[in-house]
Amino acid sequence: MKRVVFLVDMNAFYISCETTRRPELAGIPAAVAGDPKKRSGIILAANYEARKYGVKTTMTVGEAQKRCPEIILVPPDHSFYEEKSRQVMELLSGYTPIIEQASIDEAWLDMTGCEILSGQPRAAAERIMADIRDKLDLMCSIGISENKFLAKMAAEMKKPMGITELWVHDVPEKLWPLDVKAMYGIGNKTAQLLANLNIRTIGELAKVDPAVLSEKLGKFAFEIHQKANGIDNDPVTPHSPDEMKSIGRSTTLPEDITDLEEARKVIMELSEEIAMSARRHNKKGRTVQITIKYSDFKTITRQTRISPTNLARDIMQAGFMLLEKNWNRFRPVRLLGISISGFEEDFCDQVSLFEQANIGHDRVKEEKLERTLDQLRLKYGLDKISRAALIKRDPS
Amino acid sequence: MKIIVLKQNLMEAINVVQKAVMTKATLPILEGIYIEAGEKVKLIGNCFDLGIEYTLDADVQRQGSVVIEARMFGEIIRKLPDAPVYIEVLEGFKVRIECLNSYFEIRGMDGDTYPMPPVYDSEFTLSLPQAVLKELIRQTIFAVGNDENRKIMTGVLMEAVQGELKMAALDGFRMAVCSSVIKEDVNFKVVIPGKNMQEILRVLETSEDAVTISMAGSLVSFDLKNCRIVSKVLEGEFMNYSSYIPAQFETVINVNTRELEESMERASLITSEDKRYPVRINLSYDKMVISSTTEKGLSKEEIQIENSGNTMQIGFNPRYFLDALKVINDEKIKISFTSPVGPCIITPIEHDRFLFLILPVRLKS
Repeated sequence: MKRVVFLVDMNAFYISCETTRRPELAGIPAAVAGDPKKRSGIILAANYEARKYGVKTTMTVGEAQKRCPEIILVPPDHSFYEEKSRQVMELLSGYTPIIEQASIDEAWLDMTGCEILSGQPRAAAERIMADIRDKLDLMCSIGISENKFLAKMAAEMKKPMGITELWVHDVPEKLWPLDVKAMYGIGNKTAQLLANLNIRTIGELAKVDPAVLSEKLGKFAFEIHQKANGIDNDPVTPHSPDEMKSIGRSTTLPEDITDLEEARKVIMELSEEIAMSARRHNKKGRTVQITIKYSDFKTITRQTRISPTNLARDIMQAGFMLLEKNWNRFRPVRLLGISISGFEEDFCDQVSLFEQANIGHDRVKEEKLERTLDQLRLKYGLDKISRAALIKRDPS
Repeated sequence: MKIIVLKQNLMEAINVVQKAVMTKATLPILEGIYIEAGEKVKLIGNCFDLGIEYTLDADVQRQGSVVIEARMFGEIIRKLPDAPVYIEVLEGFKVRIECLNSYFEIRGMDGDTYPMPPVYDSEFTLSLPQAVLKELIRQTIFAVGNDENRKIMTGVLMEAVQGELKMAALDGFRMAVCSSVIKEDVNFKVVIPGKNMQEILRVLETSEDAVTISMAGSLVSFDLKNCRIVSKVLEGEFMNYSSYIPAQFETVINVNTRELEESMERASLITSEDKRYPVRINLSYDKMVISSTTEKGLSKEEIQIENSGNTMQIGFNPRYFLDALKVINDEKIKISFTSPVGPCIITPIEHDRFLFLILPVRLKS
């Protein structure tokens, strides 16, 4: 059976997410930018109104403001985008169970055999796009083909809100005239190497003898030669290979601190956040690492191992231990961070001595409790419920 | 200080004491190895949780002491040719190291400021052959926990009671207990950090030479002929491990140790490293079938057993079994199962010097 692969690429994702909760940004030039207060910040995502003025991703804020003085800049809120991304993926999973998330705003869908459910590929893509627009108020482009590479190339061809089909038989006509630089996976360096071989279009790349190519490009040559011919057998694999390796948060303190109790509160607050994120991604980690940046910017990281967990209490307990052991208390601290990593896939439902002998705390119960807190926070806001130690005293 | 010492001897000494040297210390001197030339040459590494002294023969031409940054010192000595090494402390704690055609001058630190591992009057001492202690550690250390939030379980319990030296370790999923007869009539109970125990294990030899254990306050030391290891003990109460050992069993089998070990090894070949899969054990009246099914494929092993109980199907993490089987020298063992979700214990048939307890994995039907 011919495979059907979609690439769904969210358009101007960060700024579009912001627009969903700040409708006043719609229709005017706006961008998400790292620390807009500093002129050194960069543009992370610009909306299409701003792009008309030539504002691009990674451009400095100063440069963007020069090109478009009335641009509205919004500071990034990554956990919000993560949540939106999760909603997008959830919506997509209603169309096919085989989804490979490539990044926060992109995913491949294996739609092979889904015609009965969703209709012909183009019709299915139209439904997905409308669904994302109506339910989440976000834009996307969709590339349709029979493999991941061509689907990706197709999605790039028409943005925003474009649906493009690029089947193998379309390759000579639609793909070959393109510059090799437009090819997914080819950067400036490879493009330069190819230019030295007088290869400038994807068509020229497709027709060259791969043996000649491999002299310059090594193992990579075979792969790009295949792709230039529209061949890519890589399956759509649920869970992207570059899956999350760690979850961490850090914070620069309003003023440098020297007090252990205060530092513990910061660690506590950050631990709550990463535990919440770990639970949302169904991850349990076994390595806890803390980062301490002293006022002179010297930074140390220290880590320890614990039993796999997604509970704030376990994470903060390990964090406290690391903090007490490693913080040179003569030195004021300007930044504290904590992360959890070492996620493992566990197909074993291992019986433990603790449940057998009924000692220690009941982790199953505690996870239920923390998950309930998560739901309350998602509904009413992060600061609405927290540990008593974190309640800020009313100055009056 | 001026000494001449054989490269191999010095290298061995560095390798042993380096384990007690901090790699990220707040004070530079703590990242160094202390060297003292008296009648013999003594190297010391000390990180407070663990201190190691190692004495070696050398031609001492001038007595004295110095501290040298451990990592660089180790690297230099490692890369020198196999020949006598001259070490001399020059003015301002500069250290000259010479060997055949190689010459180094590196910065050292004042030996007098080095924090020595404490010397104390011990409350009691216990001597036993190194081989015996080595075996006891080997048979328990693999079960030590690594959860720093449950500190006490990262240690090995060492308990002398009624003419017996007992050791125990557990990580929540399995447990190892073993014992040996001792001559002295001493009573004590300490928990020694697992990673310090690992270093003690490394220096112990399979010989009848004695190792002397002595203790005072929160410290315990192990004295060998040319080496002394001082370890902090872990504070807190060790679990009452004997209460976890079940008394009634549903199924009791006798099996050949090596056959089971080899079958488990093969069965775990298709369980990948990063994803943990269980092995499934089917016990009938005369045989044991070990099978595993993973995304990579399946395997099946059959072993003859004597079963004096009922049939049972039960799953395990094969690593837990292998860790225990590897340290058993007995030809045959007894394995007693309680239920598919309860502990099983591995015990010897001829004596009662060890007991390994392993908890199963819930099998999805």
